[in-house]
Amino acid sequence: MPKVKSAKWRRQAPPEGWEEIKPTLTEFDQKMRDAENESSAGKRRVEATWSVMRVHHQRSRYIFDLYYSRELITQQLYEYCLKNGHGDRNLIAKWKKQGFEKLCCLQCIQPRDTNYGTTCICRVPKANLEEGRTVECIHCGCRGCASSD
Amino acid sequence: MASANGEDVEFPILCETCLGENPYVRMTKERQGNECRICTRAFTIFRWLPGRGMRYKKTEICPTCAKLKNVCQTCILDLEHGLPVQVRDTALSIQDEVPREESNRRDYLAKMANNLEVMGEQTDFSGKAQPAGREMLKRMARKDPYYQRNRAHICSFFVKGQCTRGSECPYRHEMPQGDAELAKQNIVDRYHGKNDPVARRMLARSLKTDGLDAPDDKSITSLFVLGVDQSVTQADLRDHFLPFGELKSVVVVPKGNCAFVNYKSRAGAEAAALAALSGCSINDKSLKVAWGKPKPKGPKSELAQAQPISNETSAATGSQPPTRANIPPPPGARNNGSALYPSQDPTAQGAYNK
Repeated sequence: MPKVKSAKWRRQAPPEGWEEIKPTLTEFDQKMRDAENESSAGKRRVEATWSVMRVHHQRSRYIFDLYYSRELITQQLYEYCLKNGHGDRNLIAKWKKQGFEKLCCLQCIQPRDTNYGTTCICRVPKANLEEGRTVECIHCGCRGCASSD
Repeated sequence: MASANGEDVEFPILCETCLGENPYVRMTKERQGNECRICTRAFTIFRWLPGRGMRYKKTEICPTCAKLKNVCQTCILDLEHGLPVQVRDTALSIQDEVPREESNRRDYLAKMANNLEVMGEQTDFSGKAQPAGREMLKRMARKDPYYQRNRAHICSFFVKGQCTRGSECPYRHEMPQGDAELAKQNIVDRYHGKNDPVARRMLARSLKTDGLDAPDDKSITSLFVLGVDQSVTQADLRDHFLPFGELKSVVVVPKGNCAFVNYKSRAGAEAAALAALSGCSINDKSLKVAWGKPKPKGPKSELAQAQPISNETSAATGSQPPTRANIPPPPGARNNGSALYPSQDPTAQGAYNK
């Protein structure tokens, strides 16, 4: 949920380091808006939301990267970004777990969404697929997010 | 919520090919999932993957419709032999009793659904009564399951050259093979056993192997019947061959234990040959049927020869095609004025068109 600030929030200033990452985050905002407004001509029914999911992943990845991998921002700034909707807290939580480092989206590991209670096909490592056919999962268009790929 | 189609079904009626090679098939079940393609009533759909690299298959017709014809719920082929309904019915001489119009069909199916539960199977689909038919079916049936049927459908965009999905396209990127005629199949026709191009081709092929295929000379409309002894009379033959088309004449040749059955039309003769595939038996005597050159010596030919006013320049040889010029004289003029109508002539049926 981006940037709807309550009265208390509006009084607080963004933490230090915000100015450095602000341009990238604004760019991501713009990208998201573009993805939301894309026309759905020439796309399959499921394909319409794929670009939105992709930008969401990229944005969260950026925040995760800055904080956990490169350690360039403080915890305060990290929390500030997450609270303001620049990253998905739940998705980042999965990335911290072993085997889910490259997870595409949260829908793909939800067994309740599938007929037989399994995960999405994009979670299957390419080594096990044995068909030579590229898969695009229906939720987010992911072509394989197993950690070994 | 009671299922509209009667009792709750645990497992669909399927053939081995449709189920696929994997013995551990996973299936989803959806009550009232879709309407039956034949009777348009809601029924339980079962959906499963018949093997790696195959498309997902699901039941297309309801179990009632399937039981009525003893066919698989997905592929509408016979459960015992895997043959089209038309082929099996022709071989076993089963009539299609399921009406086609909506309301009639619904009533009939509702009635049959009740009957099936109460009395069990009625029609004999394995052909115990017709060993010749059963033999023919056994010959025509596949020995092994044909899993190629379960592959994905052909990508119609690829055929036009416009598939943008490329390697992730789940449909087959091949050109369609086989005749265009065979591709025009209709599920309702296939179910009722009428107008099925695949069935027609199978029957034609089988006729050829039996020696019962139609001769190239289109004017031959006569069948040659062997095994005709004393007990089989002309009337018996007539009764047996009448349903297939108008008979021009039936001639029995006692010396050769054979008979000729001449039809007015080629279509009638072909229909009779088709039906004779499943074995022809009159009065418990099994007869062999083949195409023949007609040599009629029946009363009709005598009649023609006895006429003083003979418009028929082509005497009584049935092999000559009818010409427009030979319009027969009015009924009163024949046979020296005695009112003998064509219908009174026992060997001529229907319109006298020679």
